[in-house]
Amino acid sequence: MSKVLSRRRTPQQWGLLAISLAVLVVLLFPVYWMIMTSVVPSKELLTSSPPLVPPADSASLDAYGEVLESRPIGLWLWNSTLVTFGTALISIVISTLGGYSLSRFRTKAQQAMGFTLLFSRMLPGTLLIIPVFVIFASAGMINNLWAVILVNVAATVPFTTWLMKGFVDAIPAEIEEAAMIDGCARLRTLWQVIVPLLRPGLATTFTYACILAWGDFLFARTLMPNPSDWTITVGIASFIGEFSVDWSGLMAAGIMSMVPMLILFVFLEPFLVKGMASGSVKG
Amino acid sequence: MTDVLAPARTTRPSPPKRRRSRAQRDRIFAWSMLTPTIAAVGLLMAYPIYIAINLSFRGGEIADLQNLGQYPLTLGNYADVITDPQLLGDIWRSIVYTVGVVVPAFAIGLGLALLLNKTFPGKRIVRPLALLPWAVPGVAVSAAFSWMLDGSFGVINYLLRSVGLIEQNVAWLASSDTAMTAVIIPTVWKFYPFFTLVLVAALQAIPGDLYEAARLDGASAWQQFRYVTWPALRAPAALAIVITGVGVFREFDFIFPLTGGGPDDATTTLAVRIYNEAFEYFTFGASAAIGVVTMVIAGALLLMAGRSVREGMN
Repeated sequence: MSKVLSRRRTPQQWGLLAISLAVLVVLLFPVYWMIMTSVVPSKELLTSSPPLVPPADSASLDAYGEVLESRPIGLWLWNSTLVTFGTALISIVISTLGGYSLSRFRTKAQQAMGFTLLFSRMLPGTLLIIPVFVIFASAGMINNLWAVILVNVAATVPFTTWLMKGFVDAIPAEIEEAAMIDGCARLRTLWQVIVPLLRPGLATTFTYACILAWGDFLFARTLMPNPSDWTITVGIASFIGEFSVDWSGLMAAGIMSMVPMLILFVFLEPFLVKGMASGSVKG
Repeated sequence: MTDVLAPARTTRPSPPKRRRSRAQRDRIFAWSMLTPTIAAVGLLMAYPIYIAINLSFRGGEIADLQNLGQYPLTLGNYADVITDPQLLGDIWRSIVYTVGVVVPAFAIGLGLALLLNKTFPGKRIVRPLALLPWAVPGVAVSAAFSWMLDGSFGVINYLLRSVGLIEQNVAWLASSDTAMTAVIIPTVWKFYPFFTLVLVAALQAIPGDLYEAARLDGASAWQQFRYVTWPALRAPAALAIVITGVGVFREFDFIFPLTGGGPDDATTTLAVRIYNEAFEYFTFGASAAIGVVTMVIAGALLLMAGRSVREGMN
């Protein structure tokens, strides 16, 4: 609103900052509490009035060391990384091609795709896992990371294709027509002319696919019965049901599962808002 | 995204008429580029739905899921599921859960979006932090909240006791009166950033001179919101509500790790029931039948919402 005046900080702006900080304290309390729990020994937490800040004399990172030693967290994180990058890269390629086609050519698929997107959101994952298991069991792909990657790609693609269509819509068709008159083939035009212009779209798709694949629990749980093939989310879930939960260790594992997405998110978040803006608000 | 539900409109003029061979080549090219998308959607949607529907019509003790043909066809699963009074309860709890998540998540998302649309120092750091819960894996969210909501040592009880809102500890997840609230809270936390993201994007697209003009006409802050901001937000907001709503309606990742559907079925939504029928009782046919019923209900809700979303966009 007050962009023109924004060079000088007004008291009102500092007030907004104060409000934002107060809101963040409430909204991010769960994250704070995870960190806090992970650095305080379990026995000090099991009281009816736990300390609200880590006590200086007993705070330590021991829980991280213990949990890394007692469970294959590193391996689980690595499996998650493979699944996540595999999913994100394949999704980007598929949805760029699909989004370009939906944007530039009028086919019946265009109408069907919007419906498909919403329909895919509507399907209960718990209904799908039995058939998905059957499919991959008959293909002999249980305990195979590719199975998890493929299912996650399938879960991501309806949305990301629609997202990419929005980004391609924003690029004037004249640009590629000019390139094609110069004798470029369609696919080469796409690669050399369109893809460089799609960078914000690619970043948005990448972030979305990463968050979805990294957070997936149901599919990985179903397709990976073998604990050494688990992803980090399946590993964490295995803590929760235990008879006496090691809260410090669980929260330490939880933090470790968040950090990679956090880093990714901080870098790509500006694209995300821009991406949503150009991809979504057209009418 | 806003025009997902609208019949596809072409924003560009149709291409000039070309020779037929060219048009045909274009068609082949268009469809071949779509093939991977269609294959991916088919893998997760078309074929699994076929198997699920097939399964829902099979009777007998189903043990071999890979060869469904050997089991007799029957309508028995549907008859059992629909006459079971529990189904209505499951549907009701799914609706309570969905509304209970979407309303607060939207309110928080909208408030935050309005705040983040203003200019203030440090906004570049505040914004990613405010959106952060979106990036946290659902299972980690569940783990954090199962600890915070713990009946004996949970910090939420401690804070509520400290400010005097409760006198005794509440067993949030273990009591059937509070369990639904207790699974709604983490879900809200995970879902509000999506609303913020969509709404911030929509707010940034509103031209600043509209506010200028409204101020010159003497519009109050509320009137500016009512007549400038809200009309621009309506369509994206409606769409985000529908997308989130159908997603939450069949959400599993928060309820199951926290309560498993208990206590006393207090948090058994349709999604949890589908899972429990299949993996606790191994009644695959009934599980699939409930799944199909869920799909039909969600589809009906979607059609109803679809109309209002489309109206909101015109």
